Amino acid sequence: MRYLRLTGAQALYNLRAYVRSARTVLLGLIMPVGLLVILSWVFAHQGAIVAAAGYPISAIAFYAGGLTAYGLMLGTFTGVMVAVVSAREAGWLKRFRASPMPPGAYLAGQIVFNVIVSIALVVVMVATATVVYGLRPRPVPLVAVGCYTLLGVFCFTAIALAITRIVTTAEMASSAGPFATITLSFTSGVFLPPNLLPHWLVTTSNYLPLEPLAQSMQSALATHAATGFQGRPFLVLGVWGVIAFVAARWTFTWQPLRK
Amino acid sequence: MKSVTNVIEVSNLTKRFGRLVAVDNVSFAVREGEIFGLLGENGAGKTTTLEILEGFQKPDRGTAQVLGANPHSAHRDWRDQIGLVLQESDFDPVHTVTETVRLFAGFFSHPRGVAETLELVGLADKANERVGRLSGGQKRRVDVALGIIGNPRLLFLDEPTTGFDPVARVDFWSVIEGLSASGTSIVLTTHYMEEAERLCDRLAIMARGQIVAEGTSSTLISEMGATTVRFEMPPGLDPSALCALTRANFVVRDNMATALLGSDLQGVLLRLITWAASHDVTLHRLEVLRPSLNDVFLGATGGER
Repeated sequence: MRYLRLTGAQALYNLRAYVRSARTVLLGLIMPVGLLVILSWVFAHQGAIVAAAGYPISAIAFYAGGLTAYGLMLGTFTGVMVAVVSAREAGWLKRFRASPMPPGAYLAGQIVFNVIVSIALVVVMVATATVVYGLRPRPVPLVAVGCYTLLGVFCFTAIALAITRIVTTAEMASSAGPFATITLSFTSGVFLPPNLLPHWLVTTSNYLPLEPLAQSMQSALATHAATGFQGRPFLVLGVWGVIAFVAARWTFTWQPLRK
Repeated sequence: MKSVTNVIEVSNLTKRFGRLVAVDNVSFAVREGEIFGLLGENGAGKTTTLEILEGFQKPDRGTAQVLGANPHSAHRDWRDQIGLVLQESDFDPVHTVTETVRLFAGFFSHPRGVAETLELVGLADKANERVGRLSGGQKRRVDVALGIIGNPRLLFLDEPTTGFDPVARVDFWSVIEGLSASGTSIVLTTHYMEEAERLCDRLAIMARGQIVAEGTSSTLISEMGATTVRFEMPPGLDPSALCALTRANFVVRDNMATALLGSDLQGVLLRLITWAASHDVTLHRLEVLRPSLNDVFLGATGGER
């Protein structure tokens, strides 16, 4: 009960900071929607795009699914990294550590906050695609999209935590996050259809966390999606997430890193 | 009779960072309800000592008992009774003072009221101001509010008034005195001597990782402090003659004779005044200065200021 209350308080604290900061809303919510509008408009004449699943899907399903995955990674990965590094360097984590708050409640608060923000992103993206571009998502595949969202938040939170030992300043974190996300987006069939990329690059991306997330969301939003559920994203993102959490458990520090 | 319990007992504490011995065989105790000061220059080992007591650092040798437990392995119930104000910290600027303090209030089992806490640290009129809009001194008060919100039995303050203007510092001292009066035990580090003299019931002076002097400020002053006597050199008297007639070690600089005197103060003054009277000499600008904690500090640390 106390644990839940503390998790809720941490999540609420983060949410308040999120809505009060124009930068985070712009980066996490408005930019993916803006990219969806621009890219769908530019590539509308293309009709079907060959996605990594092997069958062609509509341009709107491709961009709605891919850019949702992009927005999720950008928001969660950058957000957790910036939040943790700046809290650590400001001495907040040290205060938390010295307080009777269980450390898990801080982590859970971060996850709950990012789940809420990511679900808001999914809702806005799917609604825009449906209302403006005539996407016809079906209920069961939408549940699959919801599951991929939770999986993505878990995985990117873990990776962000694991590298806070290397990323020493909030400034570094706020540029490393978008850099990694945008680079991976080019190789993972988010901005460009994967059939335009060299084979080895596509194969490599299949084992990195963004591609399985983007591809499974794209497939689930396509009209001919069966249930939208696939095993591969759970396997790839799950392994990344678990390894990153174990690494974070070993390397995480509550004290500011002195230069 | 009320028995005196110790909230902190430290013995033979040693902590090394590589080849640097940050804390070198330090022992002391802090009694329940007192304000204990750790004084020293930057790098003397104060913060490392505090970090061991707060549970952030593990000593290489020696033991520290804080509220009856080893801080490094202490349980959450122990942390419920500890408050700390760090040497430096920063806040998320978009939250208000109340929102920031309320987050921390939720961590503790018996927190003080948020409004009461803000009143106590003098931030009641800034309760709904965003933290990013506060001045440096006001932010420091938020720090203190976070330190005391849990109603701690023991409060650690690491250089709490660094960067304060003189008015804010005096205000802050009354906050600390108020907390102490309500029964909170306090350990503070400072390098302001007047702060230590005003606030601390007892203090320890650290230099190069060791405690070089310990006691109340008045005992330290009377044991270690020297009274200063100085006056303008009268014409026709040379320094060696002055030293010979007073049997004291006077130093003459810019035509001012100065000596630091201990127990022989009265004898030296008597010989000096007798000589002046019998030679019909007026000792211009004659002063006898009582020793200060600063003199004790400089004597004990071998520092210069």
